[in-house]
Amino acid sequence: MPRSLKKGPYVVESLYLKVVRMNESGSRQPIKTWARRCTIVPEFVGHTFKVHNGRMFMDVFVTEDMVGHKLGEFSPTRFFRGHTNKKEGIKARR
Amino acid sequence: MPRIAGVDVPDKKPIRYALRYIYGIGPKFADDILTESGIDAAKRAKDLTGEEISRINSIIDAGFIVEGTLRRQVQQNIQRLRDIRCYRGERHRRGLPVRGQRTRTNARTRKGKKKTVAGKKGVKG
Repeated sequence: MPRSLKKGPYVVESLYLKVVRMNESGSRQPIKTWARRCTIVPEFVGHTFKVHNGRMFMDVFVTEDMVGHKLGEFSPTRFFRGHTNKKEGIKARR
Repeated sequence: MPRIAGVDVPDKKPIRYALRYIYGIGPKFADDILTESGIDAAKRAKDLTGEEISRINSIIDAGFIVEGTLRRQVQQNIQRLRDIRCYRGERHRRGLPVRGQRTRTNARTRKGKKKTVAGKKGVKG
């Protein structure tokens, strides 16, 4: 079920304000953030975010199509590296 | 056999059910169309007059997205998810369930027929 319209999109306030400030000054530096749950709003378009995935910061360049999604959707937390080959064993993993 | 909305040719059944053979029209839309056109829902598809068929056609053209157009729209939505490389797009690309279902077992609709792996059950490794 989607979020109630009354509440509007969930946007992390501090991050939003930072983007607005950057838009005013025209600066386009990557923004490091842990706010994976923050909805992407139109103001974010054109910025690069470094979204934490639990281990490192993934570069996410926001395009218009991404509006309405969450930042975390673009920074995968798991990487499937294939199943282990029985002969090579578990060592071959990672 | 009447042709409604392009190539669809349902027959013999009451028009209320026959309309559902069109991709994009289910129970709700079938009834909506018939109320709007004022055609008896229980009438068999083959008994419809040419005038009634064209009336149904014009209603569908005006207010419903069906068949090819709808299929294309769905495909485009999926393509968009793939292109922005978000999590859901990734699941589509991999052919895995998109909405957070378990994949340890089941998920056969998305994953297709079982591929048996020797020695998987029982002793590990």
